[in-house]
Amino acid sequence: MRRGALVALLAAVAGLATLTASAAAHPLGNFSINHLTRIAVGQDGVQLRYILDQAEIPTFQERGLADDRVLGLKHAEVARHLTLSVNGRPVPLRFPPGASISHPPGQGGLPLTRVELPLTATVTAPRSVVLRDETFAGRVGWKAIVPQPGTGTSVRTTAASGDPTHGLRSYPKDQLRSPLDERSATFTVRPGDGTLTAPANPGAGKATTTNRSGDGLAGVFGRASQGEGVLLFLLLAAFGWGALHALSPGHGKAMVAAYLVGTRGTARHATALGIIVTVTHTIGVFALGLVTLLLSQYILPEQLYPWLTLASGLLILVIGGSVLRSRIRATRAGAAAAEHGHWHAHDHEHSHQPGHDHGHSHEHTHSHGGRSHSHAPPERITWRGLVGMGASAGLIPCPSALVVLLGAVAQHQLALGLILIVAFSFGLAATLTALGLAVIWAGGLTSRVNVRGPIATALPTVSAVIIVAAGMVVTARALPGVL
Amino acid sequence: MPAIRHRRPAAVIAAGLAILGLVLLSTKDATPAAHRAAGVPAAEGPAIDAPGESTAKRIEALQTAIRAKPRDAELLATLGLAYYQRVRETGDFGFYVRAQGVLRQALSLDPRNADATVGMATVALARHDFKGGLRAARAALRLEPQSIKAYPGIVDGLVELGRYREAERAIQRFVDLRPALPSYARVSYFRELHGDLRGAVQAMEFAVSAGGEAPENVAYVQSLLGDLQFVRGRRTAARRAYERALLSVPRYVPAEFGLAQVDAAGGRLERAIGGLRSVVDRLPLPVYVTALGETELAAGRPGAARRDFAIIGAEERLLQSSGVNTDADVALYQASHGEARRAVELGRRAWQAAPSIRSADALGWALTRSGSPRDGLQWGRRSLKLGSRDPMLLYHAGVSAREAGRRGEARAYLSRALSLNPRFSAYYAPRARRALEAIR
Repeated sequence: MRRGALVALLAAVAGLATLTASAAAHPLGNFSINHLTRIAVGQDGVQLRYILDQAEIPTFQERGLADDRVLGLKHAEVARHLTLSVNGRPVPLRFPPGASISHPPGQGGLPLTRVELPLTATVTAPRSVVLRDETFAGRVGWKAIVPQPGTGTSVRTTAASGDPTHGLRSYPKDQLRSPLDERSATFTVRPGDGTLTAPANPGAGKATTTNRSGDGLAGVFGRASQGEGVLLFLLLAAFGWGALHALSPGHGKAMVAAYLVGTRGTARHATALGIIVTVTHTIGVFALGLVTLLLSQYILPEQLYPWLTLASGLLILVIGGSVLRSRIRATRAGAAAAEHGHWHAHDHEHSHQPGHDHGHSHEHTHSHGGRSHSHAPPERITWRGLVGMGASAGLIPCPSALVVLLGAVAQHQLALGLILIVAFSFGLAATLTALGLAVIWAGGLTSRVNVRGPIATALPTVSAVIIVAAGMVVTARALPGVL
Repeated sequence: MPAIRHRRPAAVIAAGLAILGLVLLSTKDATPAAHRAAGVPAAEGPAIDAPGESTAKRIEALQTAIRAKPRDAELLATLGLAYYQRVRETGDFGFYVRAQGVLRQALSLDPRNADATVGMATVALARHDFKGGLRAARAALRLEPQSIKAYPGIVDGLVELGRYREAERAIQRFVDLRPALPSYARVSYFRELHGDLRGAVQAMEFAVSAGGEAPENVAYVQSLLGDLQFVRGRRTAARRAYERALLSVPRYVPAEFGLAQVDAAGGRLERAIGGLRSVVDRLPLPVYVTALGETELAAGRPGAARRDFAIIGAEERLLQSSGVNTDADVALYQASHGEARRAVELGRRAWQAAPSIRSADALGWALTRSGSPRDGLQWGRRSLKLGSRDPMLLYHAGVSAREAGRRGEARAYLSRALSLNPRFSAYYAPRARRALEAIR
């Protein structure tokens, strides 16, 4: 537990550091203009999507132009230099609505430009299709044509299948590969059922470097914006990730378990704890994300991250401090009341008497309907304590969740990001609740087996001390960046 | 035009590429960038290719070979040098990162591999780590004393560090051992630095006719020949050289830049601006952007010039945020069109990293522009100590002398700046003429 918490907090620091690092250079250089075209040849039409990722300097050269104007320029470049010919004849490309432009943050506080243009062409009975991408000729960058299966066709193509860049969001860093420079592709088309035969992409599945959005998951936002029922999948993925994430060290699992064991919690308590964790975690990430976004309007991200780290460190310190204080108080109170040094597990036996009424605890106002099920001793499972425990489990800054949110913001998919955070938090809570229930259930079976002993009783205090220590480490590491 | 014009723009490109390429490299490796990089192609690397085969194809073949034999240090070193060549051809800095990666891998497999050591020297020089580059090149020579592979790096390191006597001996030995493109080009540059332009042209013509491994190598020396002819005021010869370079490598940036310079000097400002803009659109290195802005100023378009100059500011920001120092090019730009104080700071750093005559010129000009023409003149004299005929160096020294109250000296420098090519720059030549008239 103690090591777990520390490792997790250090990982949190490292997470922030990676964010900063990935906010550094554009992987293909500050001059690059990267573009790829997704193309699906169907029986009645060709669907294309032209994606552009423009680095800092070319973006800077267009500064002062309104987004619409920049989009217009890209539109014109694509209209002029992206050519499609079907059965040997050039076919005009149409630009249906749905073009998007965004400016993800780049290095040195300079923005990047990301453009997506949907394109279509109406064709009848295509046999051979040739796509030529002569846009932004002479500029360095990743240039690719990504074939996709079309409806009602069986397509054989020269373009490599797969896209190791995930729509120009990350670039392979294999040193034995050159950046892709694929500017034309031919497609041999027969009627079929949506099959695609393409040479394997040498770069696909290899080590990739994530780009400035900082997280591989961010790459899926774009696809979600294309609809295609990806949303449900995303929600499930976020939920699952949250659930798994809770299993990684440092999400207060052990604290929660120890708390429930130590206080003879009920299933109801465990569920409540889960909900509290979800809510506080969501609020925490939203707040942190909001602060980040607000501050980034005024401060360069590079200058902001050290402060954020410092803030996280201080927050952890405060949480640890308050947990520690309440522990010390509880210890004192327990010692005074029971003349025992170990306050925790000792009184379980006495308290577990049927009929023992549940009227206890000072400030808790809810009623349990007089059912005499409860065993929790009054001074243990106060609802305020429960909220505090849930909050401290949920509030510990979770960079992964923050990354999801900021990634969503970077992709201009704020709403989706918010929803995903909620799903993520639910996943987190589900695991914690399940864990709590398991502990209670197991505890019920073995309730006569005494779980006391100095280690079990000291656990919450130790964990509080570790939280404080970790807070100090994070703060100390953040200080040089700030001073 | 900017000081760099007459010093082999291609070298300056390599330099600029290097600096901006640095953005990609880890900050751990970043050293203060100074001057122009070791220009001439590292054509001496072991070659598994047939002559004339394109670098991209060669790279592909090497990549395939290494996938079959991943622990072959020799192949990895060759690939590293081929990646470096690719940066020179495309301006794509991603290849610097790859070059460094595979060279490191080669050295970790075989720490005494001479080719990989030469490769590390080449990359270090391209990144303006002249001391490190020289050290690595000398280490490579010790590993294989009979080979000439290490000489380009040794010569370039010595020249950039201002150790001209040692450089002279190394060049002599290099050209004696292997009279070919890489050694002739270095002879030419050394003569140019000492003001022997005829000798420089002759050596560069030898370099052109000797031919190189990749078409880009030849295009490069052809462009350098064009630059030399331009400094001598032979605009037609210069144009011819650039056009030949473009025949070797279509759209070759240093040659297109040279042609635009010739256009500007001939008063065809619109055409020059068009050409420069096309260059800047593809490869917005500070030196090209400065040239574009100054040509726009000469054409009476201060607004457009300001807008373009701002790109250099953005590039400085990128470099700073990755902890990399900029170099003499940016110091000269800041001195002429930006903040003189900042220019002095950059100039001092440039001199520290590479005490060459080019750094002396940048620092001197920065001092003069920041209001210390006496100090500026001192450094200006130092920049001319070898006898350079570079009109920009002479112009800077002349203005410094005039502002320091040394009219005779100023007259000498300024008239010398205008003597070889009275139209050495659409922006600076008229200024030099006015300055000269004012003190007659």
